[in-house]
Amino acid sequence: MTQQSEWEPKLLGFLCRWCSYAGADLAGTSRKKYPANIRAIKVPCSSRVDSLFIIKALRLGFDGVLVSGCHPGDCHYLTGNYRARRRIAITKKFLEYLGVEPERIQASWVSASEGGKFAEVVTEVTGDLKKVGPNQLFAERKLAKEN
Amino acid sequence: MEQKLRQEAKALLEQNKVDWIIGFEPGSLKFTATPLITRDKNDTERLIINPFIVNNLADFLTGIKGRVGIVAKGCDSRSIVSLIQDNKVAREDIVILAVPCLGLIDLAKIERLVDKDRDELDDITREEDKVIIKVDGQKKEFAINQTLFDHCIACELPTPQEYDILLGEPRPPAPELEVSGQNIEKLKETTPGERWEFWQNEFSRCIRCYACRNACPACFCQRCFVEETEPQWVMPVPRWQDNLIFQVVRNIHVAGRCTDCGECERVCPVNIPLRSLTREMYDIVDELFQFKSGMDKEAQPLMTHYEQEEAEDLFR
Repeated sequence: MTQQSEWEPKLLGFLCRWCSYAGADLAGTSRKKYPANIRAIKVPCSSRVDSLFIIKALRLGFDGVLVSGCHPGDCHYLTGNYRARRRIAITKKFLEYLGVEPERIQASWVSASEGGKFAEVVTEVTGDLKKVGPNQLFAERKLAKEN
Repeated sequence: MEQKLRQEAKALLEQNKVDWIIGFEPGSLKFTATPLITRDKNDTERLIINPFIVNNLADFLTGIKGRVGIVAKGCDSRSIVSLIQDNKVAREDIVILAVPCLGLIDLAKIERLVDKDRDELDDITREEDKVIIKVDGQKKEFAINQTLFDHCIACELPTPQEYDILLGEPRPPAPELEVSGQNIEKLKETTPGERWEFWQNEFSRCIRCYACRNACPACFCQRCFVEETEPQWVMPVPRWQDNLIFQVVRNIHVAGRCTDCGECERVCPVNIPLRSLTREMYDIVDELFQFKSGMDKEAQPLMTHYEQEEAEDLFR
């Protein structure tokens, strides 16, 4: 018996070790269901995530990137998430202008006690990515001018 | 204006108020100027001001030790202010010789207008809002905006706000954003897929000479991420994917420092329309955070500052 395997988006998650990463743990221990499409990377703070990481992830073929940190005002380092917010905002807007679908760059605030929210966010983001389809941005294509 | 500049520059060196003077001298080719960096007071006789002083001299500030007198157009002064914000230079170490700028003449545009190479032109003079070109014994007149660089048409600050010595009458800003923003507006009307393809085509020409980065006063990192090898963020081979990543990340890294001075586009040997990137980033920063780079030397740099409530609609 063969099954038609459906395309599944690959999502890279940069999770703050003080909140979202613990939130993801909590989602697991409280047996919340969420899609297994996310690959989590633990970062010391959401502001550790340079725009370069996001673009490099897209270059490597991830279909989307999720940066998740502490709610405004709750940063372990007091102001890290505010700075991350500015950086992610300009990255998202700028890449949208260049022609990257805005759904591919996602950000959320998830605290350590919000296992449920983490599961929700991952479910929503995965749903969004399924709608926009596979990431072909950096695939080798014939250039219009060479034809 | 030129005479006053020479006097002031000479006086600054003689009175030992500065160690260096950065300005422009005539270039070796017709209608060009080249940066002059000197400690010799006799060299100040060679200083010039004309519509061809295209370089953004603020780029040299971070590489020079000591006190500097610098000739600055409006755009250069904004780059200097931006460097002061970032603590890259100290305000007391620089003397800004402010040039009220009439706009810089783009030779490529002139060549297209008269359909002649720049070497074949006899003279280019500017009168009020007209440019007169002498070629083959004939005189041709053009409206000033046809001949200026796009970033000069969009200029919001022709006369430096921050200066020590003002060399002429201040000029009010008269940006014509509709004219200079045409390319971006056209791009925005296309679909995301078309836009991506457009940039893909543009960046397939890039030879990664890094002229854009080297001419940029905001790009002052000692080590750029493109030269990192562990991890190797971008491949050294100039393929369009890596070229695009380099330029996009460069633009994001200089957000809030980039004053849209247009140097990157001007120096690009393969004519990639880089100002369509820098201008958009400039507008995004202004729209989201009401921040205009290089306007206020007391302002906190964009990325070290924040408001309690901003850009929340982008977060889940």
